[in-house]
Amino acid sequence: MCSFKIGENMKNKNNFVKTDKAAYLFLLPAAVIYLSVIVAPVCYSFFISLFKWNGIGKMEFTGLSNYINLFQSDEIFQTAIINNLIWIVLTIFVTMTISLLFAVILSKPFKGRTFFRGFFYFPCVIAPIAVAIIWRWIYNPNIGFINEFFKALGIPFSQGWISDPKVSLYAIFAASLWQAIGQPMILFLAGLQAISPDVLEAATIDGANGIEQFFLIKIPLLKDTFVIVVATLIVAAMKVYDVVQGLTGGGPNNSTQMMSTYMYSQVFQYNNVGYGTAVACLMVLIMMVVIIPYVLFTAKED
Amino acid sequence: MSGKTKKITKKVLLYAILIILALIWVVPMFTLIATAIKSKSDFYSGAGLFSLPKNIAWENFINAITKGRLLTYMKNDLIICLLKVPLGIFIEAMAAFALTRLNVKHRTGIFIFFLIGMMLPMQTALVPINVVFSKLGLMNSYFGLFYVYVGFGISFGILILRGFFNGIPKELDEAAYLDGCTKWQLFYKIILPVAKPAVATLVISDFLSTWNEYLLASVIINDNAKKTVPVGIMTFVGEHGTDYGYLCAGVLLSVVPVLVVYLLFQRHFVEGMAGAVKS
Repeated sequence: MCSFKIGENMKNKNNFVKTDKAAYLFLLPAAVIYLSVIVAPVCYSFFISLFKWNGIGKMEFTGLSNYINLFQSDEIFQTAIINNLIWIVLTIFVTMTISLLFAVILSKPFKGRTFFRGFFYFPCVIAPIAVAIIWRWIYNPNIGFINEFFKALGIPFSQGWISDPKVSLYAIFAASLWQAIGQPMILFLAGLQAISPDVLEAATIDGANGIEQFFLIKIPLLKDTFVIVVATLIVAAMKVYDVVQGLTGGGPNNSTQMMSTYMYSQVFQYNNVGYGTAVACLMVLIMMVVIIPYVLFTAKED
Repeated sequence: MSGKTKKITKKVLLYAILIILALIWVVPMFTLIATAIKSKSDFYSGAGLFSLPKNIAWENFINAITKGRLLTYMKNDLIICLLKVPLGIFIEAMAAFALTRLNVKHRTGIFIFFLIGMMLPMQTALVPINVVFSKLGLMNSYFGLFYVYVGFGISFGILILRGFFNGIPKELDEAAYLDGCTKWQLFYKIILPVAKPAVATLVISDFLSTWNEYLLASVIINDNAKKTVPVGIMTFVGEHGTDYGYLCAGVLLSVVPVLVVYLLFQRHFVEGMAGAVKS
């Protein structure tokens, strides 16, 4: 019995084309759930997006007109796309820079390093919706932390952070930053730790100072980490929902509407199910631009 | 000598930067606690955020639990997590096992296929899930929410476990087969126990993302008695938007279970997460 199994195993190794029958059984549960929760619904969404539908009544086929309307005449949608793009730019420049900075500081050997690592990562484990609620209160124009803080310093200051359309998007971003730093920071820390000390020592002997070492040696060696961080940050920026929904719900006056919040409000508040679903489908199409190269990169790695 | 002074200056500078950053980072938690211990009248009497209340407003916490039904929300969330985390990981591990240890045609293709789900926004599946669940009577059911959560967890789980399984030497399989192990036994009795570190990391990250998930839960669960913590805590805002003490007490209490898990498994987070994602 045993020898037969080994024989079979060896044979399959040489003849790679054949799929092990048992493998189907191992893959089955994951495949069934994945197909039913993700693949089929996504396909169904693309179908629904071609209809005018209120969710209950008859579906009226309208072809691509939902998409055409979104791009041609829907100013709120255009604001939402621009907001998502602003959010992407902000995460790449601000979130990534700050998390790299944190990682560099926390990779140095010093007393209390473990504590500080844990401390700065902690916001990551809180529910984003709770983070939004906390910041809503920090931003309160009358007695919130920020304005109270300025008052305590003797600078009378009253700014409605999230109620002012000019600054609200940035205020939400700042709030999300508190939580968004942790994950890329951890990735950068791992990347920095993987750099061999010999390389840095050689550089020191060659007379490279700390800053030169950082830009000329560490940054190029972190290339793979940058790919992961940039991809995950862009994907997260396209998906961003909880923190916006919890802080402004897309307001004031739709100034902080994201594709995700706009989709939600179209479907669940205005019952424009087909139209809202078209927004969701566009989210996927736009994200594919990032996803496909990234997935190929990940799969190629081994 | 000057080298030594330089070193000390550097250390001082490092700690100074760290302390400033830590002070900024602590603001939200400070605000949360400073508000939760104040009663409504403390705020109406003009006492600001930075003043100490005369008495700690325990009633905020009591109200959050009784009127706010916070314990119910926690119980519901816990039920979902206890279902989703072990079963989800088991299913993901089975698939990762097939993709790394068994002969599968197009294994990279299948892996890529599973990986794409990680990037898709939940919004894309929202309407179909809503439509189908309404027909099947799965709205407001734990099973419905659990099933969807397992689906959305599959990509990340397979990514992590596949990476780890790939690092387990293949000689182990051959030795196991020699000893008469079946494929199932190899998976269940050997590979899965060996993969404990990856599984532990996944348990924690899975627990947190399930515990904290808002969008799907807010769509699938409307019944107050069945809400999970993130959805439940949002009702605090709607119902008592102006009572900040009560609101903050609720949020603070909702963070406690996560804080406990975090403190217990901190090592797994910072070291484990990075290792898992990298491999």
